[in-house]
Parts: sequence; structure tokens; C-alpha cells
Amino acid sequence: MNIASIGMRNIWRNKTRTALTVLGGSVAVIAFILLRTVIWAWNVQIEYAAKDRLATRHKVSFILQMPKRYVEEIRQVPGVTQATWANWFGARDPRHPDEFFATLAVDPESFLAVYNEASVKPEDKERWLQDRRGAMIGDVLARKLGLKVGDKITLQGTIYPGDWEFNIDGIYLATQKSLDRSQFLFHWDYVNESLNDRRKNQVGWIVSRVSKPEQSPNITAAIDKIFDEKDVQTTTMSEQAMNNSFMAMFSAILKALDIVSIIILLIMMLILGNTIAMGVRERTREYGVLKALGFSSGHVGTFVIGEALTVGVLSGALGLLLSYPIVELGMGRFLEENFGSWFPYFRLSASTAVVAVVLSVAIGALSSIIPARQAARLPVIDALRRVE
Amino acid sequence: MIPISYNVRNLAVRKTTTLASGIGLALVVFVVAAVLMLNNGIAQTLGRSADPNNLVVIRKGSENELASTFEEPSVGLVLATPGVARTEDGRPNGVSESLVVVLLDKVGTDGFSNVQVRGVPDNVLQFRKNVHLIAGRAARPGTDEVIVGKGIRGRFKGVDLGQSFELRKNRSVTVVGIFEDGGSSFESEVWGDQNTIRTTFGREGLVSSVRARLESPTKFDGFRASLESNRQLNLEAMREDQYYDKQSNGLRIFITALGLIIAFFFGVGAVIGAMITMYAAISSRQREIGTLRALGFSKFSIIISFLFESILLALAGGAVGALASIALSFVRISMLNFATWSEIVIAFEPDAKSIGIALFVAGFMGLVGGLFPAVRAARMNPVQAMRA
Repeated sequence: MNIASIGMRNIWRNKTRTALTVLGGSVAVIAFILLRTVIWAWNVQIEYAAKDRLATRHKVSFILQMPKRYVEEIRQVPGVTQATWANWFGARDPRHPDEFFATLAVDPESFLAVYNEASVKPEDKERWLQDRRGAMIGDVLARKLGLKVGDKITLQGTIYPGDWEFNIDGIYLATQKSLDRSQFLFHWDYVNESLNDRRKNQVGWIVSRVSKPEQSPNITAAIDKIFDEKDVQTTTMSEQAMNNSFMAMFSAILKALDIVSIIILLIMMLILGNTIAMGVRERTREYGVLKALGFSSGHVGTFVIGEALTVGVLSGALGLLLSYPIVELGMGRFLEENFGSWFPYFRLSASTAVVAVVLSVAIGALSSIIPARQAARLPVIDALRRVE
Repeated sequence: MIPISYNVRNLAVRKTTTLASGIGLALVVFVVAAVLMLNNGIAQTLGRSADPNNLVVIRKGSENELASTFEEPSVGLVLATPGVARTEDGRPNGVSESLVVVLLDKVGTDGFSNVQVRGVPDNVLQFRKNVHLIAGRAARPGTDEVIVGKGIRGRFKGVDLGQSFELRKNRSVTVVGIFEDGGSSFESEVWGDQNTIRTTFGREGLVSSVRARLESPTKFDGFRASLESNRQLNLEAMREDQYYDKQSNGLRIFITALGLIIAFFFGVGAVIGAMITMYAAISSRQREIGTLRALGFSKFSIIISFLFESILLALAGGAVGALASIALSFVRISMLNFATWSEIVIAFEPDAKSIGIALFVAGFMGLVGGLFPAVRAARMNPVQAMRA
């Protein structure tokens, strides 16, 4: 029996307590992993943004629109290969009033060209292009609303008042995570022709594609410069920057999650530290005997730290083992399907897993510092005399 | 019954262990109380300005003031509907307002966020008697002067007394006053002259909503019936509190779901912590327990005694956590309201109910954590226990 294994064997002496400690530790590890995964999944969207797309919007406010002729002007900017536009329509399905989904009035042909990660069957695309009342919806939304190709649906407009009838002409899939699979897309013309002169020919935002992503900074500046002297100024940024600024609006929530994940580690430290300290107290006499036999204070301290490290490793391993199916099979799938626009990609990242296990071991070591010192400093006589 | 002082002394004797599990429980109660207080804060912030006598009229189906627009001539008809109270000079007591949103740069970060700008008529301060200027003066009608709520003061560039910011190019407004409204969401808004706001945003002749005071809350049903019977107007009326309730729903569900998940994991961790402590307490007091049984205390009173000790531990920890959470009432966080995509400043609002629920949760955790150890203690054979 070598010195390290004494520490490990000690943890089997009180099986209930060890089991409970490892369980408690692994719950903390699971909670930590879940929280970090939420934060990670939130930020990862920024990375999934298409690198070659730019978005142009009204400089002042998202509720204000731009003249449609701006699209043509942007198409003329050197480096821009394609451009499309969309309006936020803001409708809801009266049969599913609590279901929130994006309804966008788009120009079908250029939209599918700019968002070429949308995969649509050729016959569906053909049907949609021909049908002014046609809608193309994401597969996730189709499942949520129980719609299939050929169905009819009436939506209630919140921003554009009234009942709007649509034919479901096709269902799109996404080959990349940069496209939300729960959007409701339909012809911009259908809305536009019903509007009075004041609201007619206005677009909410313009999305363009550039041939060389590395030139985006120059192109965004060039686009904004064109409109700088017109009555409506614009702000253009890369899709990545736009996602980034959107995410930044939730920074308070992310900060709270950050703090909570640290508190979880503190709780874990308390549980582990408590267990180790109890073990040391109960074995005081034993440590006295070991010291009397000639083991040094360093040895005794090592036993305690070894015990704590073992518990830390076990907690980390069990926690990771349990969180893997929770994240990958349970929560991840649920969130991706139901909250795809928030969490298009909810997976356990390798970095999160490594950080969780390393921290779990480190906390094991950290929580044993005080008990280990107590054990090491114990005067032999006192330890032997101690009655518990 | 075993005297209560027995349990109290036991907790006091095993200081370190009591402290470690107590702090764990305190952290759980802290988080639970914080979530409840934040939810309370959201409800209060969005509902504080609600008056049972007031009602909100918006365009039918538009869900909130921001999406709602209707023609100005309708305002007179709304205010002429029977049930609307009159001011001292005999005019109907109500205001029409125009709500827009602008993107402003945040102070301290390079991010930006949406801020609500409310175009208000001259008599708005007579209508909203709770709104008080705390610095500067009221804006002069028909000018580019605005007043801002104290919640966003200094949080955005140019949004503080004496400063100015652009609503759009070459249309800057100057902040001449800061107002407060008992912590309501108005405190996260900018208020300017209605006509200035409307011309700046190209909304001449349009309003977002009408708010009116009723002669008495019971007149509401009559008012609504007569307003909505005029289908040409296409407007809907809601009581102010009902309107705010709807606005804060999404945010509250989000915070509650997040809070519950976190509280669940924390709770499991803390229960395990309490269990470890109680098991340890029992195994080191075997002889005492045997003696108690030999003295004639029943199994039942042993269970009760240990359960009591565990609940006492949990409540003591919980009380510390609850006290700490009250300190959060000095914290204000800026969050995105999902209903309007604008920032609102929310405070943690402590109330007896939040603290009560958090303490109840603590007591429950103590009960669960103490149950198995207490049963084990009661099952001990007195003779063997005394021999140990």
C-alpha cells in the first residue's frame, strides 16, 4: 500500500457519506455545465453568422423603414454581389396565440439567393415564386403549427392590421445554423400592394452579399456614405456584428448566469470541504498513530488532499457522464427544436466539459487545504488523547 | 419530548460543519429569494403606473402601444365616450400619446440598445399626477426639449440633464428635466413634445394610444362596449393594470423558468449537504442516541428531534440568505423587455411573500435532508448503540 492509496481508500470507509458527497458534487457539476452551455450556446450564434452577409437598417430605430430604392443603390456598390430586403410583418396564428415566430415579408427570388443555406425543393420554389399569396416556412415552424404543403392559413397582423390568408407552398430546411428554421416567409408584394401611399415601398432591412468577406468593413462604410446626405440615414454592419449587438442586449441575464455558476462552485466547495473536514475529525486518533509511527506531517496532509482529489475526480466524472445525455439528448434537442431562434446550436462543447472537470478536481484540492493543514499540524500527543 | 436546547447545543458544538452546511443553504435561499424579488420587480415596474381608474386604448390586434397607430381624429371620439371623467375645467381627462423607439449608444460599453421615446401632449403632467420632476424643469411645448426618466439617466450617451442627443440626423433634442414615477417603466423612457416626435418620425396625424381616466372603475365595461361597438374605429380598450400584466408576461415567464431550474439544482445540492451533516451528527452521537432510547424516549421522539435539528439548521442558514438577499434591493439592472424590445431598468423588490417562500423552501430542504438520517437514528438498537 503506497501513500497515495491510503487517501483513496479512506473514502470507502464511510460509503454513505462518500456517495452523497460525490452525488452532491456531480449535481453541482451538472448545474455548472448546463449554465456554461447556455452561455456558450448564446455566444456561439455570433460565430455561426454568415461571414459574407451585410445588413443595412434605418440608423435611428428598428420601427422606421427605408425607401425600397435603397436596395438598387446598394446593388451598385462595388463588391456587393446580391441584395435582398425584408419587412418585419409581426403576425400571429389565432389558433396558436402563444406561439411566437418571425413573419417576414420578403422578395422570394433574391431572398433565396442571398440566404443560399435555405434548402428548398425545386418544385416548391417554383410554386412559391408563382403564387402571390404563397408562404415558405421553416421545417421547425411547420411542425409546431402542424402545417404541410398545400395547407391554407390565416394570420392576424399586429403591425399590418387585418386577417391575411396564405397558401403554404413549401417548407425549407437549413444546411447551416445561420438560418432560423422557424420563420414564416411570404411575398413582400402581397403586403405592399395593400398599403396606402405613405407606407408603400418601404423596407425594414436590406441584406447584401459580398464577394470578399475581408472587404466588408470598406463596403459597410461605402453603403452608409451613399445615404448619409439623404433624408433616411442607414447603419450597415456584418451579420456577425449585428448578432453580436443583439446578444449584447441580454448581457444582464448572461452576467447573472455567470455569477450563479460561480455560486454553484462555492456550494460544491462547501459540500466537499465539509465531508473532508468530518473525515479528518473522526480520524484524528488514527493520524496521531501514523505520526507516532514516524509518518511526517507532509504525509498526513497528503492523505487528506489525496482523499479530496479522489472525490473531486469522481464528482467531475459522474457529473460529466450525467450531463452528456441531458444536454445532447434531452435539453439540447428540445431547445433547438422549440427555441431555435435563440439557441440554434445547444451542445456540450469540449471546452465546457474540460473546464467543468478541471474545476471539480481543483475545488476538491482547494476545499481540503484547511482540513489537511489541521491534520498535518496536529500534535501527536493531543491527537492520541482525543476522545470522540 | 427531547428538549429543544439539546438540538441547539448540538449545532453550536459542531461549529464548522454547521457553518458549512448553513452557508450552502443560505446560498440557495439567496438565489430563490433573488429570483422572486426580480419577478416582483418586473411586475412592479411594469404595473406601478397602473391606476384602477385608468384605461388604455390601442388599435385592435396590435398587442402593445409600440405596434399600434391610428388616426388622430379618433382621439376625440374615444375621449367623448361615456364613462370618461372630466377635469376641473370640464375637458375629458385623458391624453393621446405617440410612442417610438430609438437606438442609443450605451455609456461604458460600445453597445447600443433601444430606448422608448414617448411623444406627450402639454397636459401630460396633469394627467399623470404621480410623475414628478426631480431635477431641471418641464419641457416647453412645441420645442426640441425633452425630459427623461431617472432610470435611464446617465445610462445612454447624451441622456442626462443639460446634454443632448440626436433623434435623427440634424434633429437633436436637449434634456431639460429628469422625472421619477415611483419606479415605474416610465422611468426608462424619454418624453418629448408630441408634435416634435411625430414630425421627426414621419408620423404626422397619427397616435399610438389614448389613456383616459374613468369616472369610476365600474364604468369600464360600459366604456369598452360602446367603444368597440364602433367597428369603424377598430380600437380596443384595456384596463391599465390588465395591459401592463400582458406586457410583463413574457419576461416574467422567462425569469421564473430560469430561476426554477437554477433553484432546483441548488436545492438538490443543499439537501445533500444537509444530509451529510445530519448523518455525521448521528454517527458521532450513537452513544447518546442509545442512552436517550434507554432512558425511555420513543423512536418517534428521536425522529422528531433530529428532524427538528435539521430544520433548525436550514432555517438558520435560510435566514442569513434571506437577509443577504434584502441587500439586493439596492441593485438595479437594465434588461430587455421582450414585449417592446426596449430596455427597462428593474430593481429587486423585496417583499414578505418572496422572503416567506424562500424560507419555506429552506425549511423543506431541511426536512428532506434530515429525514433519512433521523430514521436511521431511530432504528438503532439501543444496546448496540451504547456499546459503540
